[in-house]
Amino acid sequence: MLIGMTIWLNQIATAIANLVLAPLAWIPGGLSLTLLAAITGLVMLVVIKYTSHQPALQYTRNQIKANLLALSLFKDHLGVGFRVQGALLWGAVRLLGLSVVPMLVMTIPMYLLFSQLSLWFQSRPLTVGQQTIVTVQFGAGQERSVAAIQLNALATPAAMVTSGPVRVTSKNKVCWTIQAQHPGLHDLVFQVGETHFTKEISIGESAMPVSIQRPPRQLTAVLVHPREQPFASDSPVQSIEIDYPRRPPTWVTGSDWWMVYWFLASMVIALLARPFLKVHF
Amino acid sequence: MTDGFSVEKIPWQINANPHSLGRPLNMVALLLTKRARKIALTEKNLHVLNILTHDLWCRDSNHDTEVTLFPSLFMFFMFFMFFLDFHLLTFPGTLAYIGPGAGFALAGSFLAVFGALVSAISMLLLWPIRRLLRILFKRHPPRKPRFKRIVILGLDGLDHKLTTRLLAEGKLPNLAALQTQGSFQALGSTLPPISPVAWSTFQTGVNPGKHNIFDFLTPDEKTYLPKLSSVEIRSGSRHIGIGPWKITWHKPDVRMLRKSQPFWKVLSQYGIFNCILRVPITFPPEKLHGVQLSAMCVPDLRGTQGTFSQYTTYPKVEDKKTGGEVHRVQRRGDLIMGDLLGPPQPTKPDQGSLKLPFTVRIQKSGAAVLTIGGTKYPLKQGEYTDWIPVRFRAGWGVSIQGLCRWLLLETDPEFNLYVTPIHLDPEHPAMAIGYPAVYPIYLAKKQGPYATLGLAEDTWGLSEQVLEDEHFLQQCTDIDRERESMFFDGLDKVPEGLCVCVFDGTDRIQHMFWRYLDEAHPARPTEVPVRFQTTIEDLYVRMDQLVGRTMARCENHPTLLMVLSDHGFNTFRRGVDLNRWLEENGYLVVHETQRDQDYLAGIDWSQTKAFAIGLTGIFLNLRGKFAQGIVEPEDEAQQLRDEIAGRLARLVDPKTNDAAIKRVYQAIKAYRGPYKENAPDLIVGYAEGYRVSWDAAVGRTSHTLFHDNLKAWSGDHCVDPSVVPGVLFCNHAISSESPRLLDLAPTVLDLFGCPIPEYMDGKPLVVGEQQSVAADVVPPPFTPEACVA
Repeated sequence: MLIGMTIWLNQIATAIANLVLAPLAWIPGGLSLTLLAAITGLVMLVVIKYTSHQPALQYTRNQIKANLLALSLFKDHLGVGFRVQGALLWGAVRLLGLSVVPMLVMTIPMYLLFSQLSLWFQSRPLTVGQQTIVTVQFGAGQERSVAAIQLNALATPAAMVTSGPVRVTSKNKVCWTIQAQHPGLHDLVFQVGETHFTKEISIGESAMPVSIQRPPRQLTAVLVHPREQPFASDSPVQSIEIDYPRRPPTWVTGSDWWMVYWFLASMVIALLARPFLKVHF
Repeated sequence: MTDGFSVEKIPWQINANPHSLGRPLNMVALLLTKRARKIALTEKNLHVLNILTHDLWCRDSNHDTEVTLFPSLFMFFMFFMFFLDFHLLTFPGTLAYIGPGAGFALAGSFLAVFGALVSAISMLLLWPIRRLLRILFKRHPPRKPRFKRIVILGLDGLDHKLTTRLLAEGKLPNLAALQTQGSFQALGSTLPPISPVAWSTFQTGVNPGKHNIFDFLTPDEKTYLPKLSSVEIRSGSRHIGIGPWKITWHKPDVRMLRKSQPFWKVLSQYGIFNCILRVPITFPPEKLHGVQLSAMCVPDLRGTQGTFSQYTTYPKVEDKKTGGEVHRVQRRGDLIMGDLLGPPQPTKPDQGSLKLPFTVRIQKSGAAVLTIGGTKYPLKQGEYTDWIPVRFRAGWGVSIQGLCRWLLLETDPEFNLYVTPIHLDPEHPAMAIGYPAVYPIYLAKKQGPYATLGLAEDTWGLSEQVLEDEHFLQQCTDIDRERESMFFDGLDKVPEGLCVCVFDGTDRIQHMFWRYLDEAHPARPTEVPVRFQTTIEDLYVRMDQLVGRTMARCENHPTLLMVLSDHGFNTFRRGVDLNRWLEENGYLVVHETQRDQDYLAGIDWSQTKAFAIGLTGIFLNLRGKFAQGIVEPEDEAQQLRDEIAGRLARLVDPKTNDAAIKRVYQAIKAYRGPYKENAPDLIVGYAEGYRVSWDAAVGRTSHTLFHDNLKAWSGDHCVDPSVVPGVLFCNHAISSESPRLLDLAPTVLDLFGCPIPEYMDGKPLVVGEQQSVAADVVPPPFTPEACVA
């Protein structure tokens, strides 16, 4: 049920993201990420404001600050110091308790946002002429399917198979090397007997969502790969994956650093906006 | 390779790891592992790292271990938050920040717990080192302190006579218990027995001739205009800029005029911790070992000693009120708009005050909504708001912050709104109001906003009939509650050392409600409202309860507890216009047309030998001292002093046939010390029921010598010190007879084992042991002579 709900949420998030994040294709990566971070920071602030017990948060924060000041003001007596430490600890625990509600409220939207952003910023689409590896993972006991699978070149004009398939029977995997042909979002079509399986492929210079894997119907995989429909549990094919190139290493939009930048930028924006929105956290 | 072949693992497959979301998370997770930390960031090692990552990834893609992603995610999160919060914690303003998402809030809280634990451990480890350093390098009292802690609870103006009566009636059980444990005596006040003088003597242990405080006000020697005697607040200009481009701003330059030094400064020199709360005449705050919050003379945001504001649609209300301003506003439908006046423009003071616009929208009769600074606050008729922060923009990125409380007095048929003086915001004080500077901030964080104005209770609001009795009482009790909170926090935080806290509400309430106690008071209404008939008695009972709570908090510590007052109280039925008396007796000449003007404006100085201003003093217009002085300082001055003192002492009130003045003191004889020249030449010790008239106090000269006091300000203590002794309770027996306020400073120093400086005039009281068995203690008789320092 949880997986089903996650898939359903992913579909909605993807549909919204297709609309909302579409302008990212025309905006430079750094700017778009900054813009998104700003919006995220502001939205989070508003959400925290209305989902948390603001007076209690303010009071607890003030108590923590007071106790921090007390540590420097009343340092002559060890017993007093420990009492203040105890109060500090209690304040932190109380803060923890007060953070639970906004945390619960924000967990799902944050996950959805984060996973959608990762489609845009984690990997780069293939460029025309670039080669990469496609791996199909089969379920256990699907040796026949491993032997029978074919990448349907006719149905996949966007990419050309340059080598493969390489069948790793011990791991139920089949790999191809393909070469990107035409820019855009296309589907690779795989055929096992009469059954067809597709996988989205992103080709081109402009920004576009990059779905690395069409996942199996498993929670962790569905959480991380939200864009494509997962394979059914009884499907012979469990996942299909494309090895996309990493984004160039920059501090803003590099493959790993975009997350750090997004976190930091959203926090800075939230900090700056906090006095105006009068939010305590 | 067009057809399949089977392999276990082919070399290029190692690099076929997808750069998915899981990868960076796993990378960070790996960085945290011992294995990965050993790997230097060379290209070769990056490759190894890649392999490791791939191993993890492969396991993920094979779905053997689905859980690896989530610990990695969590670890990344915590790792990131650690760095983030480490930096954020270094900025007090961003301390609270825990990220854009609620997950950050959670992680931040975990970090706070972690920080508290680390801090506790480091404190424990460092404590022996700090202790050793203190033993080696700090000065210690030469004698062993008799008490680890001394607590002094000051109840300003608690009257000896009234306390004795209520004790006898059994209405003050806690003070009675204190008396039984130790002692209760009359405490000799100072000459004159008024708070700034008395508390200065309390803290310095010297007579006014050495601490330089003789009254609230003193005349300026050039202009004769009254000025504060204990503090000088000057508007200092500062410039910044290059060449002709300069920015000038005005910042107050605050100087303490009280001389000598408080005894807690001596204690500080011996490493004894002090917590000094709201003791009058401690502004600007002075350095000490401990913490201090200033009191009397702390100005409001406008730089005055407290200016209330009234916004009204009443057409006939006077524009000018003592201690406040009336702003006439217009009502447009349900909307009233006004400007709250703040401090002077810092860059251009001549352009008037900074203004903060506000609106009040009346919702129904007796209820409205105030909008100020973009925030809405509900107003309910007859109920104070909480402290409302106000921020005056003084320029780009510069603001001055204050606090005030609002009271909707009336909505129909006329609109009437009262605003307290704007107190300095203790969280963002425009000037230092405590030591160290963060102490007021600490208190504000700990207990919320609180009153900071020196004379926090708005007596003028009531005296000028803007406030009703119950409004004023509410202010006083609220402020007492705030004070109690900070006092008890001080008791919690200071198990060893000195803790002093003064409550002013006792003084203010007695000033304003004595008319209900004194049946012969001219300001007493024919019918006293039932709820105010016992206001002063209730006040004493409330203070007794405070003493009870204080005693309970001192129970588990070896504490010497003293409860004392700086002076007592007395009725103020009749005012004596000293300037009129001086005029009638040929010592002062007034221009008839300027008779009603304040601050000695109408006086002909070329013919005036003596004048009165302030609460108790007469000044001779001495040549060489005052700009237009005509009295020769030596023989003529002495002859004049003798003459005025002799004649004034015989002054009889024709209405009652009572002597209005008990004794006239000559400062030159009553005081000792380098500053006695600054004192008024003559200090008038009024008899019971009398005081200087309202006119004479502000330098006006009326047509009559005696005035009935019809103001709400109906009790006073600006009389002869023998009329208004204070009280001294102690939980240990004090065997000294006739203790004086002057003796407290040397007593505390003595009890802490510190040497008593030679300049101190007081003598240490003999403090005995606590009496465990209830004894039938009778307060020793009170001798008036003991009061005069």
